[in-house]
This record gives sequence, structure tokens and C-alpha cells, in this order.
Amino acid sequence: MGYAAARGGLAAIRAAESLVQQLREQATTTTPADIQLIEHFGALVDRVMGEGGVWGPEMAAAALRQGGGDPIEAAHLIRSKRSTLAVIAVARADADEIQVLRRIVPAYRTPPGAQILGATSDYAGRILDMSPPSTPADRHVTNPAQQTAVVENGDRTPQRLLSVLRDLDLVVDRRRDDDPEPFDITQVAARPPAPRSARLSAMARAETGALVNVWYRNILGPDGYLHEITLGEVRHGHIPVRIDHPHTGRPITVCRVRVTEVEAIEDLDGIDEDRTRVDVGYGFCLGHNEKKAIAMANLDIACHRDNGRTQLEQSLLLTTDGLESTGFLEHLKLPHYVTFRSIIERKMAARRRA
Amino acid sequence: MSTVRDLVATRRDNAVMDAGAVRAIRRAILTAIAVPGYQVPFGSREMPVARGWGSGGLQVTMALVGSADVVKVIDQGDDEGVNAVNLRRLILRASGATETDDVSESTIVQTRHRIPEAGMVDGQILVLQVPEPEPLRGVERDTRELERMHAEADYAKMWVSLYEDRVRNGMITRTTGYPCVVAGRYVISTTPIPRWDVPALHRAPYLALFGAGRAKRIYAIPPDTTVEPMTFEDVPFEVEFTPGARCRHCGSDDSYLVSTPREEGGETWACSDTSWCRARRHQRGAQ
Repeated sequence: MGYAAARGGLAAIRAAESLVQQLREQATTTTPADIQLIEHFGALVDRVMGEGGVWGPEMAAAALRQGGGDPIEAAHLIRSKRSTLAVIAVARADADEIQVLRRIVPAYRTPPGAQILGATSDYAGRILDMSPPSTPADRHVTNPAQQTAVVENGDRTPQRLLSVLRDLDLVVDRRRDDDPEPFDITQVAARPPAPRSARLSAMARAETGALVNVWYRNILGPDGYLHEITLGEVRHGHIPVRIDHPHTGRPITVCRVRVTEVEAIEDLDGIDEDRTRVDVGYGFCLGHNEKKAIAMANLDIACHRDNGRTQLEQSLLLTTDGLESTGFLEHLKLPHYVTFRSIIERKMAARRRA
Repeated sequence: MSTVRDLVATRRDNAVMDAGAVRAIRRAILTAIAVPGYQVPFGSREMPVARGWGSGGLQVTMALVGSADVVKVIDQGDDEGVNAVNLRRLILRASGATETDDVSESTIVQTRHRIPEAGMVDGQILVLQVPEPEPLRGVERDTRELERMHAEADYAKMWVSLYEDRVRNGMITRTTGYPCVVAGRYVISTTPIPRWDVPALHRAPYLALFGAGRAKRIYAIPPDTTVEPMTFEDVPFEVEFTPGARCRHCGSDDSYLVSTPREEGGETWACSDTSWCRARRHQRGAQ
């Protein structure tokens, strides 16, 4: 009762909301603070910022708390917050200014610039640690000097492998002379065929699992054949974000955000392709999310090579957004008795006709 | 409230979207009115409700509504449906408009899956929530090809699909969201409103706006526009009909009825438009 047919819908949803509230009030522990979520669940906070398309660790942490830890719910909360904010300026960031915390180049043993593993558990044994949570007093005092030292030893803005490959004339040159404004998917609906910037933005905000799945489906699934790339750069670091000062017109740095950047080198092996050169796909997203950036870089070059032959671009633009897919899925819980009645009516009509 | 001048007027930000979005959506609405039935792409904003839960209808309503408006929101024809209640709460909170369940009092009616039984008049606006705006999706998957088909009014695949349906099944088995030709040009999906509601759209005196938030499309049927269900000269368009069905509350057999199965078997029927049904009961009680 109270779902739809009965009067009292408002009372029903208020009661449902207060049940959620009550469950929270029954919790026997303190609600985790923003800083706890940011410090201990960084991967989750970063994922929410990436999928929400907004930089704001505290905002993402608050959204995660409100959403009970559901990353898509949290991304929804920050995106609908963003909808209420006026666009006051367009920011710029130059990827060559990334100050790396981590940088690996799988394509060479000794690439130009350093290989910097940074903070990663890529090589840690996946052995579950059930020891109780530590407090700051329990821990060895982290030695920030030591950690910085590792980074300081390397060049924090290493030369790109791509520039070396370009010097060797090994890369198809797709750079363009004009500097078109990037397609803003938050202001204009993107549909195939769309500019590359639209595809890149859509992938940068895509749900991580969805993007990984489109990638994997195109490796092993029935949809198509996606060629595996060689990674030329995997970077995680800080990038300054600038806007033009509204009065002076001079660029000013408004913040530094953490990003993941990937360059994927593709062996061109198609009959109509340049067999003497490689090409490059690009991945970039907010926060530390290598899964997403690698899938994105591979799909970027795959989409370019596909050149509209298949519906890969449609898959990327229309099926990878977490809010769109889960919202639509969950709408099936809404009452559908008007449409259902119509379905049954046709069944009965078909029987009468038979 | 719905003059063109009103539509293009600058507005302040509201609690759901910024003024820039309001203007962008109003521009899309104006385009949609100018090209009846054409799906106008727009930069759909994320709303406080999920995609698929009326985010398109909510954006259209929020781009139009002001504090002087009187808003009715229904889901399945019911003002008290949980989603209708939720959307109404948001709209009222963000706009300062007043609410009503009486169609005749309303300036804007936002709806999911139904058109009110009581006729609306010139000057009122009907906002329909659209889960999937593309009427041809069932016959073509590629969005580029779909765009071409609409651009060239190439609806052959849809005609063939309807013909095959008729040949195989002896009748057209399409249920809700029946494809219709608007102003003799574009084929639209009539959201999933039942076929029962389709005739109400033909030469309706009011403006009907269709908002698809997830699909980022807005389309419109301006007042007094032809809306013709796609069917064949010798195959009449059929609305939902169940022999003997009658509303258990008001006795109506001339409204869209929904069924309630009985535990002991069989079913009873009631109007899906609850406020219309209640008004009818009052009227009959008074007589």
C-alpha cells in the first residue's frame, strides 16, 4: 500500500526517507569524516570525482557519506549540485605541466625521463590483512621527506615518450594547426559522429566499470575486434588549472588537481593504414584511476581507427555514463501499471481474434 | 504565461539549475515548437532525480515554471503516485509555484505515462516525461542512420514493421508509445502513453512538450497540430478496450481503466486518472 494506487504518496515517501535516517541513527559508530574518507578511501573518492566530473575531494566525500558509499549515487549528487552552479569561466590545463607522482613507460626499459612507481599496490601480494585498524599513534610516523625524496630524485615533468617517437618520425602526425574549442558534453548533447573532444569528455566522465567493459567486450566479446595497445605513458600527478582573470585578462592558477594520464601506442596493422608508423590514443581523468584512463586511451585510438565502420562511437557516447545507465535501469522500479495494462489488453485482443 | 516573450526572458538561477541552463532549455523548447515533432538535442543537465525518473520533464517544467504557476504532477494518472509526489515537491520547492490536482486550475501539467482525461485548454502546457524519444529504435539501432531517416522522412522500415505485425498477428500488437506522424512530417514516440490517450493529442488546443533527459532530446506538439497514429487505410487504430470493464469507483467505461487482480480470481477495474474519477464521483453524488 502507499506505493502508488493509494492516496498518501507523500506520507509513504517521507516514511521511506525516515527509515533510511533511522538506520543511520542506529549506527553505533561515528559517521566517517570527509578527511577519513579522503585519506582511507582515496580510490573511491577519486572515482566519484572522475565520474561526477567535478574536482572537490570534500564534496565527493560528503556525497559518498550521503549515498551510503554508492559511487554512482555520489556522482549523481555532485553532478546535480554542479547543475545549479553558473559557468563563470572556462579553465585551461596543459598536460605537459603535470607534476608526476607516478610515471611508468611499459614500452621501454629505460625511457627518456624516469620510471617512477610512486604509490601503487600493483606488485603487492593480494593477501587479506584482517588486523584491526590502526590509529595515527600506532603507525610509524610517515616520513614525508623520504617519500618526496623518491620523487625529487626523478624529473617531475619527464619528457614524453611520444616526443621521442615523434623525433624519430615514428608517429602518424594527427596534430592540427587550428585550436578548436573543445566540445562541452555538459552543455550540448553529443551524438555520433562527434568530435574527438566529445568522445574524450564522455569517456573521462564514464562509469569506470562500464568503460572497462566496453574495452573488454571489444577484446573478447561479439562486438568487434579491438587491438591491444602498448602503453607509452601512465602518469598520475598534479596539474595546475588556470583561468583568465576577469579584470586583468592574465592567466591565473586557480587550483591544482590530481589527474591520471595515459598515452597508448597503437601498432597500425590495417591494410589501408600507414604500416611505417604507430599512432597514439589518449586517456585522461580526474583523480587516480588508471583502469579508466587505460581503457579510455585504447578506446580513443580504436574509435579513430574504426572511423565510423562500426557503432563503437555510439557505444562510447551513449552507453558508458553511469548516471544514465543506472538511472534508466532503476526507473523500472517505478509504477508501470498503465503500460502493463496496455500490454495485457493486446494479449487478450489477440486471443479474441484467434 | 506562455508567450514567446516570456519564454526568452532572462531568469535567475533556481535550486535545480542555473540561469544559463534555463535559457538553453527555453531555446530548445522554442526550436521544438517551431519544428513540430522534431527531436531537438539539448545539453540535458543532471537533476536531483535520476535519469529515467523524469529528469527531462523536470528540466522542461523548471525552465517554464514561475511562482505564479499552478502545477499538477501525475504518474500513471495519479497525483499521489510516489514519483509524482517527489517531482511535485522538487518543483514547488525550487519555484514557489502552487500545486493542484485539478486540471482546470493548472497552468502546467507534468505527467508520466498519461494524459489527463479532463480536456486541457489553450494556454495550458502539458509536459510529458519521455524515457526513450526515438520511435524508430525498434527498427534501427544506428543513431546516424536514425538521423538520416528522420531528415529524409524515410519511415519505410516503420511501415514495413507495422505491416508485418498485422500480417503475422492479424492485428497491430503495439501497446503504448504508439508511433504518430506530427503535422504530416515527423514520426514521434508518444512516450509510453496508452493508445487510449493518442487521439487527445490530435489538434489539441494546448501545447504539449516532451522532455527526454537521459536521451537529451526535447520535442513538441504545438496547439492545433495534427497527430496521426501510423496505421493503414483499412486497419483502424485501436485503443485499449476490455469488454465489460467499468470503474469500480465511478462506474466509468469511457476512461483509461487499470486492473486490480482479485485474490479469489478475476479482476476489478478503476480509472487511472484518480482526480478525474473523484470529481466524477462528487458530481454524481451531488446529482
